[in-house]
Amino acid sequence: MCAASGSSSVPLPDFARTTTFRSTLAIAGAFVLCTLVLFGFVYWQTAAYLTSSFDALITGELHIIAGESPERRLAHIAERLDNDPRRVRIAGLFGADGRRIVGNMESLPGGLTPDVPANAVVVRVDNQVRETEKVRLATEPLPDGNILAIGRNIEEVAGIANIVRRALLLSLLPAFGLAVVIGLVLSLRSRRRLSEVNRRIQSIVAGDLRERLPTRKSNDPFDQLAASVNLMLGEIEALVHEIAGVGNDIAHDLRTPLTRVRARLERGRARATTLDELRTVVDQSIGGLDQSLAVVTALLRIAEIEHNRRLECFSQVQLAPLLREVGDLYEPIAEDKHVTLQVEIADEATVHGDRDLLFEAVANLVDNAVKFTPESGGVTLALLRRDGESVIQVKDTGPGIPEAERETVAKRFYRSDKSRNTEGLGLGLSLVAAIVKLHGFRFTIAAGPGCTVEIVCSQVR
Amino acid sequence: MPRLLLIEDDKETADEITAELGDRGFDVSWAADGIEGLAKARSTGADAMIVDRLLPGMDGLTIIETLRGEGIRTPVLVLSALGAVDERVRGLRSGGDDYLTKPFATVELVARIEALLRRPTESPDTVLRVGPLELDLIKRTAKRGERTIELLPREFRLLEYMMRRKDQMLTRAMLLEEVWNYKFVPQTNLVDVHMGRLRHKVDEPNDLPMITNVRGVGFILRAPA
Repeated sequence: MCAASGSSSVPLPDFARTTTFRSTLAIAGAFVLCTLVLFGFVYWQTAAYLTSSFDALITGELHIIAGESPERRLAHIAERLDNDPRRVRIAGLFGADGRRIVGNMESLPGGLTPDVPANAVVVRVDNQVRETEKVRLATEPLPDGNILAIGRNIEEVAGIANIVRRALLLSLLPAFGLAVVIGLVLSLRSRRRLSEVNRRIQSIVAGDLRERLPTRKSNDPFDQLAASVNLMLGEIEALVHEIAGVGNDIAHDLRTPLTRVRARLERGRARATTLDELRTVVDQSIGGLDQSLAVVTALLRIAEIEHNRRLECFSQVQLAPLLREVGDLYEPIAEDKHVTLQVEIADEATVHGDRDLLFEAVANLVDNAVKFTPESGGVTLALLRRDGESVIQVKDTGPGIPEAERETVAKRFYRSDKSRNTEGLGLGLSLVAAIVKLHGFRFTIAAGPGCTVEIVCSQVR
Repeated sequence: MPRLLLIEDDKETADEITAELGDRGFDVSWAADGIEGLAKARSTGADAMIVDRLLPGMDGLTIIETLRGEGIRTPVLVLSALGAVDERVRGLRSGGDDYLTKPFATVELVARIEALLRRPTESPDTVLRVGPLELDLIKRTAKRGERTIELLPREFRLLEYMMRRKDQMLTRAMLLEEVWNYKFVPQTNLVDVHMGRLRHKVDEPNDLPMITNVRGVGFILRAPA
């Protein structure tokens, strides 16, 4: 508990807290573990190999000497011990009572199984020197009751262990050090990059939308991420500018009628001499305010449609009755204006959509067409089939939209927000565009005499 | 004197509405927040209520839902600055009887309150009568006295709506919403044109006029005096 709380309170240097540094440490740790296992294996294999070759040697000799005559046996032992410049050989012949007959072993260690080589500790005695040694030793009882023991010093094996340990240290320390250094460098680099990213994000948060994240040309995942984020920032910047543009448009749409109202009220206040005159001015002003409010209503309506929340109201809508209904609604208005309104249905299409919204869109188009068609002109509301798609077409013999402006208008429709500034088009068409976009349909203004607008109902959804 | 309960958090708006409705012969009591409003709605037994949509304490729609849940059927007009169509639908769905978007003309408010207080005659009769005017809902025919009036289906629907609400001020917005089931405000004076056609057929030059156009407000159908 104490240790844990103590260690957590020790502040780590900044670089040590980066993920990169930690992963480097983890990898270095794993590397050390692997090396240890590997070296352990090498040591174990070498030791086993040496031991087994020692064993083969001593058992071989043991059998040869045991098979010889007693005299030859003594000579052989002496010869064996004489020809041992490295002083690694151990041999001894002991009586049945354990008394040493010849050899350089002081006594026979206990606990040995005859004929099986095993580790043992013996005391070497020669030239009046006594020293304890670790050996590999095998014994064999002889027919005359004596016991023959042949052994070999195994300190070489320990020497190999030492070599292995040294090699391990020599390779491990620099490798671990290198890992730590690499980890440090990587983490410092990523830290520098991250703090740069952080700094820029903060400046974006503070309102500088032109700021972008740094990228290199390395195309690494970090770079790809930064590129994606930059793309997103670009979109956001464009949208924010657009919103600012919409704000300007709204301000313009509202300012115009409000300015008129203000001027009217001012003039009325200064000039009206009778209550009736004042009333007229007030009535006109209320009319102007209503106009401003209508703009607000239309804007809210567009926002509502663009918010896409009405998708759940979608159902199968029959276009033919809808168009007939719009025609029925606008017929008297057209008649009053001495404009013929014709409804031509050449298709019995059903689309997936919101009936109220589609009605509103078509009604708006017809409304505009009737409004802008001069007396004795004509408006045709048609439902056609073209290239496997249903097309709602509203054609009039009005002044139309000039070629140059047409493209701008169409383009603006795509964004569905700026057309409201185009003289004579009003907010109605922005609304139509918003509805069309919500349905995934297309809105086009076709060339030709007069004005032809179309809603192409692509049946993709 | 019909008694109204107004639940509206903005004092100035509330004062305006109270004064205006007071002038027109209503007895208005005012509650400034949702909780007080709900308490008053339960205790005072008003003839109709005007409830703002967004209120401190308790949302206007929650008040209506609570009252409806308790079996209190007082007609409610929902007032809201949230003018969107979806909001209107939600307001009516929670038990409101009518929905009016702020800002509104006072005459519009009064017309709607009066419409709420005088629910239309849902008589089982298949023939509606106002003065000399007679509408046969089965045979789909209309007569003024002995004179048969030829009506297009859309004109028939309009006249039926007006006859069920005789002597009531019907604003353009009310007609659009109710007769044409419109959820949008057309840019052209649709209602006036259609009403002009109907009036032309109902009131011939020698007849006493039955359909009156109240300038800037709406239309009333009355039996000729």
